[in-house]
Amino acid sequence: MEKPNTFESIRPLSGQYSCITDLRLNAWLGVATLFYLAGVALVKFNPGLSPLAKALLTLTPLLPGLLYLRTCLRFIRGMDELQRRIQMEAWLFSALGTLIISTIVNTLNANGVTLGDLQHGLSLWGTFALAFALWLVGVAVANCRYK
Amino acid sequence: MKNQLRTLRTARDWSQGDLADKLGVSRQTVNAIETEKYDPSLPLAFKIARLFRQPIEVIFEAGE
Repeated sequence: MEKPNTFESIRPLSGQYSCITDLRLNAWLGVATLFYLAGVALVKFNPGLSPLAKALLTLTPLLPGLLYLRTCLRFIRGMDELQRRIQMEAWLFSALGTLIISTIVNTLNANGVTLGDLQHGLSLWGTFALAFALWLVGVAVANCRYK
Repeated sequence: MKNQLRTLRTARDWSQGDLADKLGVSRQTVNAIETEKYDPSLPLAFKIARLFRQPIEVIFEAGE
């Protein structure tokens, strides 16, 4: 019987880590990051670009990003029911936590209270980093719960 | 939900990993069911019942 996907197979030092699985899952994330960096560099070093070209360059990471999302969904579908539940709980925790923290930061900013360098709210990378950190916390909590 | 999974598994001298492989789930899932921290879905419960050739209500018993 085919083995289900597990979170341990993509977590380094878990004892079940598989580099191939990790690469297969995260390849599109790498491509999206490269597209993003290339887009930022091109926009920065070519100030004469038209707004449409700038918009296209800035939005190019969206396509590999969507493909990454598809790969993630397929990976989660390949998990067994408990692993899927753990992932769903972790994603829900991450999404709601990010939403709540972003709202708090924006509400504080709107009322003249600035937290550190967040006078413009969370940046794109800040939001991703926060969501990722909360997802890790969610997975750890759920794993403890079902251990 | 109470269950007899551990008793049935150990009677056959299977490890949690062996049972997980037979059911197509992870070892963590088998462990979570045995420790009654997770109730399996109906399809998985039927799969377990078929594997052990026991009626489902013999393996799983609804708690209070």
